[in-house]
Amino acid sequence: MKNPDRRQFMKVLGVAAGGLAAPTILGSRALRAEETIPVGILYSLTGTTAIVEKSMNQCALMAIAEINAKGGVLGKQLRPVIEDPASEPRTYSEKARKLTIEDKVPVIFGCYTTASRKAVLPVVERRSGLLVWPTWYEGEECSKSVLYAGSAVPNQQLENSIPWLKNKLGKNKLFIVGSDYAFPRGMAKTSKTLCAKIGMEVVGDEYLPLGHTEWASMVSKIGSSGADVIFSNVVGDSIVAFYRELRNQGYDFEKLPLCASTTTEVEVRAMGPEYAKGSYVSLPYFQTVDTPQNKAFVKAFKEFAGPDSVTHAAMEAVYTGVHMWAMAAAKAGDVSSKAVVGAVGGMSFDAPQGKVTIDSQNLHSFLTPRIGKARADGMFDIVDQYSEPLVPLPYSSVGETADKRVCKVSGAAL
Amino acid sequence: METFVIGLSIASILFIVALGLAIVYGTMKVINLAHGEMVMIGAYVTVLASKHLGLGIYSCLPLAFLVAALFGLAIERLVVRPLYGRLLDTLLATWGIALILQQLIRIHFGFGLFGIHIDGLGSDLQNVPVPPELQQTLHILGTNIPVYRAFVFGVAVVLGLVSWWLIYKTRFGSQLRAVSAARDITAACGVNDKRINALAFAYGSGLAGVAGVLVSGFMTVSPDMGAPYVIDAFMVVVAGGVGHLLGTVLSAGILGEVQSFVATWSNDVYGRTVLFAFVILILLFKPQGLFVSRNR
Amino acid sequence: MKERTITLAAYFLFFAVVFALPFALNSFWTNRIAVYLVYAICAVGISLSWGYAGILSLGQGLFFGIGAYMISMSLTLAMPDNNPVPQFMLLNMEPNAPRDLCCATPGSFLWQPFQYLSIGVLAGILVPCVIAAVLGYVMFKRRTSGVYVSIITLALALIGQMLIINNQPLTGGFNGLADLAPLSVGGIEFDPYGKSVYYLVAAALLVVVLLSRLIVSTRMGHVLKAVREDDARVRYLGYNVENYKLFIYCFSAAIAGIAGLLFAVTSEFASPSLMSTSFSISMVIWAALGGRSSLLGACIGALIVNFIGSVASENVMLQPVWPIVLGLMFVLVVLVMPEGIAGIAKGWIAKLRQPRSLKEVVQ
Repeated sequence: MKNPDRRQFMKVLGVAAGGLAAPTILGSRALRAEETIPVGILYSLTGTTAIVEKSMNQCALMAIAEINAKGGVLGKQLRPVIEDPASEPRTYSEKARKLTIEDKVPVIFGCYTTASRKAVLPVVERRSGLLVWPTWYEGEECSKSVLYAGSAVPNQQLENSIPWLKNKLGKNKLFIVGSDYAFPRGMAKTSKTLCAKIGMEVVGDEYLPLGHTEWASMVSKIGSSGADVIFSNVVGDSIVAFYRELRNQGYDFEKLPLCASTTTEVEVRAMGPEYAKGSYVSLPYFQTVDTPQNKAFVKAFKEFAGPDSVTHAAMEAVYTGVHMWAMAAAKAGDVSSKAVVGAVGGMSFDAPQGKVTIDSQNLHSFLTPRIGKARADGMFDIVDQYSEPLVPLPYSSVGETADKRVCKVSGAAL
Repeated sequence: METFVIGLSIASILFIVALGLAIVYGTMKVINLAHGEMVMIGAYVTVLASKHLGLGIYSCLPLAFLVAALFGLAIERLVVRPLYGRLLDTLLATWGIALILQQLIRIHFGFGLFGIHIDGLGSDLQNVPVPPELQQTLHILGTNIPVYRAFVFGVAVVLGLVSWWLIYKTRFGSQLRAVSAARDITAACGVNDKRINALAFAYGSGLAGVAGVLVSGFMTVSPDMGAPYVIDAFMVVVAGGVGHLLGTVLSAGILGEVQSFVATWSNDVYGRTVLFAFVILILLFKPQGLFVSRNR
Repeated sequence: MKERTITLAAYFLFFAVVFALPFALNSFWTNRIAVYLVYAICAVGISLSWGYAGILSLGQGLFFGIGAYMISMSLTLAMPDNNPVPQFMLLNMEPNAPRDLCCATPGSFLWQPFQYLSIGVLAGILVPCVIAAVLGYVMFKRRTSGVYVSIITLALALIGQMLIINNQPLTGGFNGLADLAPLSVGGIEFDPYGKSVYYLVAAALLVVVLLSRLIVSTRMGHVLKAVREDDARVRYLGYNVENYKLFIYCFSAAIAGIAGLLFAVTSEFASPSLMSTSFSISMVIWAALGGRSSLLGACIGALIVNFIGSVASENVMLQPVWPIVLGLMFVLVVLVMPEGIAGIAKGWIAKLRQPRSLKEVVQ
């Protein structure tokens, strides 16, 4: 039996106490509530997505503790206000309203699924709030009230992987499979455009409902389609059932490689690493990324949350987001949404994955695309990575390019 | 052909879960919305047993049966029995129990509140190691049959036979059938119908627990995994008619195959939609179910 | 005091408090309580169909969701950047499709009438009513038993949810519709966080409660109560039980539709999660806690459960325990308080009105 929660609680308490005690020790007057900046933390602690969101919650708290230890923002300590939206869009909307209007937080670090982000958008857009959104997603959005820090868009996951599957692995017939909603469909659209450009054939584009766990028919379909490589945009619970079914029906990742967009260290651990071994994943971050910042990040998180915890891409984005928000607020001299958005464009941060820069037109991030190959121990070997971060193009599915931008300062020009 | 095999294995899981529900519904006319949670409990027993006791899937089958049966007994005694005769209220109360069970797993049965984590519980996804002999694929007559699915089918057949023997060849079974058909007269004849209720409920829950073990071998184990099972199982039960075991078998078989074929030919989402629509039609036009029992 | 006077006083007190509250609340709480009142409207519908007619619908979420979607379609089109075609459709359509509602995506022509707000509102009330009428006709004419009715309504809500999620180019899919303009009628803009929306909802609740009360106190109400007890007997007495049930079922579906409309106005989005099983079942619990046969009780039940739920989930200590408390509430209400809070209140009032003890009377 372990006590990571108690340890984490003590850590937060310790750092917070230290942060609060320091001025007193140094002789200044005690901090009152007005001397702190409330920041909203909105990740599900119960419900279906709690599995991933809990770790994001902890990571946000760790990042806040780090910032507070260095003096906070604009001389004030950050005070996390934690709400649990219980994986329900309705509750996300309700809690976001509470945080923005009642608690008057200038920023919310929250959301993992697009459905939750869509429910929170009206609140932050109309009530001068700001959401820092961490998850890789389908793009197609351009809000001036969201900081898309660390959140990859399809071109940043596909421009590296699809050509790599063709050139490095020599594959030509692609089967795209996913869960039935916006992200997998958006990824499929962009994939098809890419395939047409490089001369790869798409032999299948199929979906199963979210959370669906009966994959036998789909795997059988993949087998009979003649595909020699699979791209999986399967999400959540279905991932485990899918990978296990592939194994059960006798498929081998050496002969029929699979590249996924949403299988992280968390899902690999959930399904049992032996089922994922040998498959590929295209994400900007893996726990095994070899930068000094990442080594420090992983070490710090394991101390914060327990030695058995893993760091994964969404968490790293949370960490990046919190720090970049703090940097932008410091630069603007003001924590309000407008000021931060105005200051954050063009700003760079040495994130665990490498340098992350915010694009001033669409508030998305330049990220370093990587391809990881799953190992027997549940971690990933990085088999490909870009030397420079890649530009974010949220509207690549409708033909956006670096020269022909859809997202302008005034909004999306569709 | 492969579609047919897949349909059989979908049907097997459906059958085991539905059988438990059918026995309970047949005897007591109670819809137990916590039945899906019995599947979840069976799965978690497997997770915990494999992590802490080193037991494999085979040993977990009887263990999960027992644990789930005990939970069933507790639910019957505490919630179902006081509400006897009030079917709609039982439905709501068992839903409440389902909510409680799900959250208990998330907070490690209460220990989580004090910072104590039990490995295998909590909101995280769990997985269960499958013995290597079950991970193979057989190649028979040109079709690929995964051994695990054949195993599931085998367990379903065994459980079906055991249940058949229990219901039709034992004294307990004849008492059970008597209580289902005419409760008051049976009680007047000296049969302890309350005990029969409790045992039926326990047996039904135990079956769901076994299904949970089987399911954990190819799916993630999480606190919310149980909910879809009770709805699907109930569809099987009402479609098949509650009087006869064979009805449940055939109905599970048909619904499993329908789902598999629709999934292969078109989108799987429509598979479930068609299934539900089909069941609604059955409920409306043939409320006794497709296979009316001969004993009425 | 006659019982009727007490009931009248209770209603008056309740609505007096409801209408006076905004003056004591800030904009956040005004909006929050407005959402609770929306839930209360829904609960009244359930109380009507379950408490009075014995129809336990576990799929009210379907009608609620339809109401929310209908008005959301109009509100989506009211946003300038969603014309001529909503943004989500632009992102889902084939590259060569025309940018016109008639043919942008499969079925997009269904959006055309919703360019008028009145269509959105009317559809939100009538479409649930029509669906309930069709389903109810078949169910009640065939004398489907109570438990099966519940399962059928549950399955129908699930089907509705699946159809919405699976038709992303038409409905926005899993993400729902979130790019909505604020409600604007005749030049008055209804701010979700302002008193205007609150009073809109409160007025709707008042109207719904009055109408329901009216129905219940007519002969129909008495027939329905008899039906709830023993419908065979009522049939023998010559009443056409099915028609009464059908009427109530449609009416409660329309009420749920109205609640859904107002939900979209207060919460500014519509999503398939509104049609989920757990949401539908929680609606039943609101009515059960308050008192399934009491309209006012159902309102109060909805307000209490949601209020406690919000407050408990915002408390760090109670967060992990709240779902257990909710589950226990289900169980205990049904086991121990079948008539809900209203039942308990009625019990107290009856005791107060009893004559003095026999000893005193005799002496």
